[in-house]
Order: sequence, then C-alpha cells, then structure tokens
Amino acid sequence: MSAAERSPGLAARPLAVLPPLILLGLLAALPLLNLGANSVKVLFLTFVSIAASVGWNILGGFAGQVSFGFAVFYGLGAYTTAVGINEGLNPYLTYPLAGAVAALASLLVGLPTFRLRGPYFAIATIGVSEATRVVMTNLEFTGGASGYRITEHVPFRQLEHYFTGLMLAALAVGLSIIVRRSRFGLGLRAIRDDQDAAADSGVNPYALKLGAHAIAAALTAAAGGVYARYAAFIDPEGVFGFPRGVGILLMPVIGGVNTIWGPVIGGGVYGVIEEELVARFPQLHLLLYGVLVMLIILFEPGGVVGLLQRTRRFVLRRREASWQPS
Amino acid sequence: MTFVDFLNLLISALLLAGTYAAMAIGMTVIYGVMKIVNLAHAGFLMLGAYFVYELHERAGLHPLLGVLLAFPAFYVVGVLVHWALGRGVPVSDKPTLASLLLMFGLWLVLQNIGYLVWGTDDRAILTPMTFATIRFGEITIPKIGLVVFASAVISLAALEFVLHRTWFGRSIRALIQNRYSCRIVGIPVERTARRTFGLGIAFAGAAGGLLALLYPFSPDFGRPFLLRSFVIIVLGGLESFSGVFVGSLILALVETFSIFIVPSSYQPAISFSLLVVALIVLPGGVAGFAARMRSRRAE
Amino acid sequence: MAALLSVEGLTKRFSGLAALDQVSFEIREGEIVGLIGPNGAGKTTLFSIIAGSQPPTSGKILFEGRDFTRVKPFRAVHAGIARTHQIPQPFLSMTVRENVEVGLRFGRDPGGARNLVKEVTEILELVGIASLENMAAVTLSVGDLKRLELARTLATRPRLLLCDEVCAGLTECEMQSILGLLRRIQALGTTIIYVEHNLRAILSTCHHVIVLNFGKKLAEGPPETMQNDPAVIEAYIGKKA
Ligand SMILES: Nc1ncnc2c1ncn2[C@@H]1O[C@H](COP(=O)(O)OP(=O)(O)OP(=O)(O)O)[C@@H](O)[C@H]1O
Ligand SMILES: [Mg+2]
Repeated sequence: MSAAERSPGLAARPLAVLPPLILLGLLAALPLLNLGANSVKVLFLTFVSIAASVGWNILGGFAGQVSFGFAVFYGLGAYTTAVGINEGLNPYLTYPLAGAVAALASLLVGLPTFRLRGPYFAIATIGVSEATRVVMTNLEFTGGASGYRITEHVPFRQLEHYFTGLMLAALAVGLSIIVRRSRFGLGLRAIRDDQDAAADSGVNPYALKLGAHAIAAALTAAAGGVYARYAAFIDPEGVFGFPRGVGILLMPVIGGVNTIWGPVIGGGVYGVIEEELVARFPQLHLLLYGVLVMLIILFEPGGVVGLLQRTRRFVLRRREASWQPS
Repeated sequence: MTFVDFLNLLISALLLAGTYAAMAIGMTVIYGVMKIVNLAHAGFLMLGAYFVYELHERAGLHPLLGVLLAFPAFYVVGVLVHWALGRGVPVSDKPTLASLLLMFGLWLVLQNIGYLVWGTDDRAILTPMTFATIRFGEITIPKIGLVVFASAVISLAALEFVLHRTWFGRSIRALIQNRYSCRIVGIPVERTARRTFGLGIAFAGAAGGLLALLYPFSPDFGRPFLLRSFVIIVLGGLESFSGVFVGSLILALVETFSIFIVPSSYQPAISFSLLVVALIVLPGGVAGFAARMRSRRAE
Repeated sequence: MAALLSVEGLTKRFSGLAALDQVSFEIREGEIVGLIGPNGAGKTTLFSIIAGSQPPTSGKILFEGRDFTRVKPFRAVHAGIARTHQIPQPFLSMTVRENVEVGLRFGRDPGGARNLVKEVTEILELVGIASLENMAAVTLSVGDLKRLELARTLATRPRLLLCDEVCAGLTECEMQSILGLLRRIQALGTTIIYVEHNLRAILSTCHHVIVLNFGKKLAEGPPETMQNDPAVIEAYIGKKA
C-alpha cells in the first residue's frame, strides 16, 4: 500500500492533474473578487515564496542535498532583474536572465562544494552564503550596503505582479513534477537514498547534483527577480542575508521535504505567517519556525504532508476496522 | 610594517587564538562523541554572553566570576537539552542531516528568545579593564585581551585534566576513537554522551561570556563565531583536541594578518571562505594533510 | 582469446596493512571465475578497486585492453563492469521495481525508446522476485534483498559481473537457485567473478578459481586442481576446518 502511494503513475490516474489545474484556475480568477490591495500583496509574496521553496526542494528534497545558501541565488536574481530593468531591459526578459546568472553561479558554488557530503555540504553553503553577502555589501556599482533602487517609467499595477508571481509558482510546480517523473528525477532519488549505490548503478552523482542545483538556483533567482521588481528597492542584507537563505530552507522542511506539494504548502504557510506575524511580532515568527523545525525532525520528518498522510492512513484504518464484523 | 607593529599583531593574534580555542572546543567534544554538528552552539555562545552580562548588571558580579558560574549553569542546561531532545540526538557514526537541522531549529529558538528578552540593541560588558593596556616598551597589550586569554587557557587546562585523569574523560576519548568497542567493554555510551553534551554546552556558555568581554553583542552574536568555530574544528580535523589549538592559531593569524592584503570591509568574508576551502581541501584537517604528505613522500 | 579484464600488480594499503599485495590475473570473456580466500583476504577490496569505488595504491587494471585504473564507479558501469555488495545496498525509499529501473536507465545501455516495464519484469523474473515488484525495498527479507541486489546490478547490463558472497546467509535451497541463476546469466553472455566461501558452490559452478590469502594471490587454476593444491589447503581449507 505504501509502495503504491510512493509511485502514483500519472498514466494510471489521468484525473490527478485536475485538482492542481482547478486550483490554478481559481487563483487566476481570484482577483475578480476585488480583494483588497493587502490580500493581493500577501498572495503575491506567497507565490514568490512558493517558487523559491519548490526550487530549493529539487536539490534539498529530491536529491537530499540540504543547502543553507540559497540566498545567494535569490539575491543574484533580485540584483540581475534590478540592474536589467534600470538598464532598460524588458522586465520579463530579466527573469530568465536572472535564472541563467544564478544557474552559472550555482555551478561555481557546486563544483567545489559537491565534493562534500550531507552535513559537510550544508555547512559549506553557510560559508558561501555569508561570503557572498559580504562581497555584495561592498560592491559599489550596486550601491553597496545602502541598497539599490529600481526606477521604472510605467505605472505600478499590482495585478500584473500578482499574475507574474502566480505564473512563476505554477512554472516551478510544473517543473518539479517533470523532474520528479523523469529519468533525472529517478537518479536524484537514488543519490538521496545512497550516493555510492547510485554510482554503482551508473548514476553520475556529481553531474546530477550540479544539474539539480542549477534548476533550483534558476527558479530561486527568478523568484528573487519577481520580488525585486515588486519591491522596487533591494539591499544586500534583505536579499542576500542569512535569514533569507534560512527562510527558503524552512518552507519545504515545514511543508514536507522531497514531495511535490510539501514545498507549496510550506511556501503558503510561510508567506502568510511572514505577512501576518512579522509586522506585529518581529521575532516571534522565527521562534515559531524554530519550534516547528524541531518538532518536525523529532516527530514527523515528512512535515505537513507527512502529517496529512499519516492522518489519512489513520482514518482509513479506522474505517476498515469498523467495517469488519467483530 | 615595522617590527614593533608586527610583534603587536602577533601578540594580539595569539591572544585571539586562545579565546577561539575555548570557543571551538565545545563543538569538537560534541562532534567527536556523537557526530552532531551543533549549530545551536551559536545560540549558547549568545546566552553565555547575556548570562555574564545580567549577573554583572543586576548582581554586580565580576564578569570573570560570571564566566566561572557559566560552566555549571550551562552544563545543567546542556544535560537538560540533551534529555529533552531524546532520540533526536543519538550517538551516531556519521553526522546526519536530521540532527543538523534539529540543532539549527534549536538555534533559531534560542536566538529569538534572545530577541524577545533583550531586544535587538547591542550590549557590552564594560569594566575598568576594558580599555586598559599594559605596555612593555613599545609593545602594548590590551589588558582585557590578556585576562580573557588567561581564563581561556585555564579552562582548557582544566578540560585537559578532566579528559586525561578522570573516568568520564577517558570514556569520552574512548568513544571518539572507537564507539563499537566502547559498548563491548561496558562504557555507558548514552550517559557519557549526555554528559559530553553538557560539557560542550558548558564550554559554549563560558566562551560566550569571555567573548562578550571583548566584543559588543546582540542576540545574533553567535553567528560569526559559529562559522569561526566551524573553520577551527575543520582545520583541526573535526574531532581532535590538539587540532583545535592548531585551527585556532591558523584562523587567528590569518584574520589578524590578512588586513595587509584584504580591505577591512571584506574582512568578515575571510573566515567564511576559509571554511569552504578548509572543508574541501583539508578533509582530515591540517594534521591529516600533513600525514598524507608524509606518506606520499615515503612512497 | 584476449583477456576481458587484466589486473597487473595491484596493491592496496590501509595505513600499513596491505589488503592487496601485487595481485595479477586475467579473466577471459564468458567464464565464471571463482575468487576464494579466508576472511580478510582482500576479496571485497579487490572488487571495490575494479569497480572504481576505491583507488588502488599501485598497480593497473585493463578492461578490454583499456586502462581502467582509478576509473569513476559510474564510468565502470557504463563500460560494463558492475558489482553486487556483500551487504546489499538497495535504494530504501524505492520499490523493488524502481530499484531495478535505476540500473536500466543509467546503466551500460540507457537507450531511449524501449519497453522499460517489460525489461524490469524480465529481470525480476530472472532473479525470482517478480511477485515483489511493488513492495518497498525496506520491507524485504535478507534473501530477497540479495536477489534485489543482483537484479539491480544485472539491470545495468554488465559484461563483467562482480558477485560478492551472494549466497552468504541463504539456505541450501536458495543457494542452489542462485547458482543456477549465475549459470544462466553466464550463458546469456556475461562474464562473472564470483566470491564465495562455500567451496562446493565454487566447484560446481566455476571454470577457473583464484585463491587469495592475506592480500596475495596464492594460486589459480581449474577448480579440481585447486582442491588438491597443498598451499591452498593449508591457507584456506586447513584453517577453516
Ligand atoms: N576501509 C578500510 N580501512 C582499513 N582497512 C580496511 C578497509 N577495508 C578493508 N580493510 C582491511 O583490508 C583487509 C581485506 O578486507 P576485505 O573486506 O577485502 O576482505 P574479504 O576478503 O572481502 O573478507 P570477507 O571474506 O570477510 O568478506 C581486511 O584486513 C580489512 O580489515
Ligand atoms: Mg568481503
């Protein structure tokens, strides 16, 4: 039973694509309801979070390589878009550009650090992230620590941002589904389970990890870019800071690492908590995340998704038991 | 650079190295015995700083006395934390991502409790020693640096005594060398692990107090020192006590003398980059590297 | 006929201890070669080095005349060298079917358009665990894990199969069926090096036997002569008895 759950063949269940599509449709139609500007903002930020969270999960979840350093890519994406727009580029061109820059950077980071395994890789990413932040804080052409402003000569339209965010999140989820079902995704799973056994089956762990890193970095960078255009002002502490990288890691861990929908749920939870709690209790949300992470590691490594699955199994078993005449 | 400048820098590097060693040793014992990468080390460094600060501000206790009290206080805290985390902190043969993330969660909790209690402002522990210097001709030594160094060295000497002369210390060393035979010869692995965790946290707390005498601090105090601790124990080969001294010395020297090469605003990037380089180039620490070199030459 | 694999002066030292000491031999295509020796003789280490999981201290490995010393494990697999582990190393989060799929899709012949489902089933049927295809690998018994290990390895379509004690811990009956399986695999054109402690299994299956002891090659030849070689008897059988 659990085995069947783990490999739900899409071909066997063509209806499985329906709920996500309906959800997407609903979200696309949502602005028709004339939501307040603040709700739209919360949703937009949630989409951005989801995109980064789903991106991280491709490396951290599918391939099992936990990185604390995704602020590097988020920040690079934000700055690429910001500079691109100020240089007169079409904003929609800057997002793929941001992705490409980050993918390149991910190679530079990954080539040395993927020689390390598991926790050592994780620690190295902390170093990479902090070093990058220091460098960006000192970079003059982007204004250093005092930040960088985007000037666009078009009026600000919040719904445009809303749809950009939604599309990006949908793209991220789509990509993550494709990766999951592909040969590439199978190789990543093998690496996650046992890197040496994977290599003994012909998987090139180094190349596959670099690939996953690049895809994850590109998605995260696009999220950073979309966010930067919305915010119109970015600074190194905000987009390259350690808390940013931590946030990107926390979302999938909370939602359920190594699943398709866990990072989406985590991103949603995070986006809402961030908006609702941060303003009122600036430190409480991080405290909450800390407690959540500890509870998750101790009691439910599958995060929210794991909890839901467990509940479902429990309910099913109860029902089965009540059917049997005793 | 004159010779006197050089001497001054060298002395301050040595003083720094002593403090760094006290800071990193807590991480090494925990990693050595149970292969847990203690990210929460940063949180305990920070709590140690506030512990000494509060005792000083409220009870007028001398900061060095505060540091001394931090040992038993944080030992108890460590033992309690280890007990509360239970199966989340097993004695394992390989570092795991689960325990890494668990300690990371703990760090987040500690750090943000710190923010709730003490806010975001920087604090500092000021005593008459803080700005005093001792002069030997042209060489000046900050008095506080010397005092902190001395305390660090004394506490490390005490640790050395515990490790080599007590049964507990011998169990720790045995566990680091070969945990499999430890179970066979009847060393209580779980109990030793719990006490080791307490010991590691005790050193983190006390070292935090010492660092607070040198630098202003906020609840995010531990982060840069966490990374430095990593650099040190990686350079030292992760679970070797003498390696910690070598690592501390290297880091302190690099940090102190790099001001001639690297602009000061890039200074913080040094330990971060050194961390990555050390992890990749020196998997067995400096000692392992030396051993490899020797064996290569022998062939 | 040229050798499929030749090993020349292979040495492996673990800080002083020589797990392998100047070992040389050749394997011809199509044979089943038995590799025997007491515990700690260096058999597993030899496999690791041939498969690229560990580098040798010195020496040379040629596969089809090409230099394969210090080759990366996945490249060895792509060239057609695959090993089973003494302790099975399945992908624990996967089903039996998925475990085999990894080898098929990343092995020597990962070609595109073909019927994966059918190929997986064939391999599972060959090793006799077809009925378990949808079970999670974590739930398998030791015997089934050994079969899965073999299936995973076969899925990479090896030309040279390195089998490390696939029968240890199995019942006589299970062992016979695995030996039959090895013969069938060999008949399908795969060369096999087979590590085994059970001498009867070796005698009944192998064309050629290599004896290792304390990292040195003690003797090699047809199984019948090995059985009577005094050095072998002393080092191996004599000690074991
Ligand atoms: N990674 C290692 N580090 C140190 N020594 C090792 C290592 N791997 C193997 N050895 C040593 O090398 C020698 C050969 O080991 P190996 O596992 O190859 O023997 P084996 O012939 O497969 O034995 P068995 O029949 O028990 O499987 C043994 O003495 C072993 O202790
Ligand atoms: Mg063996």
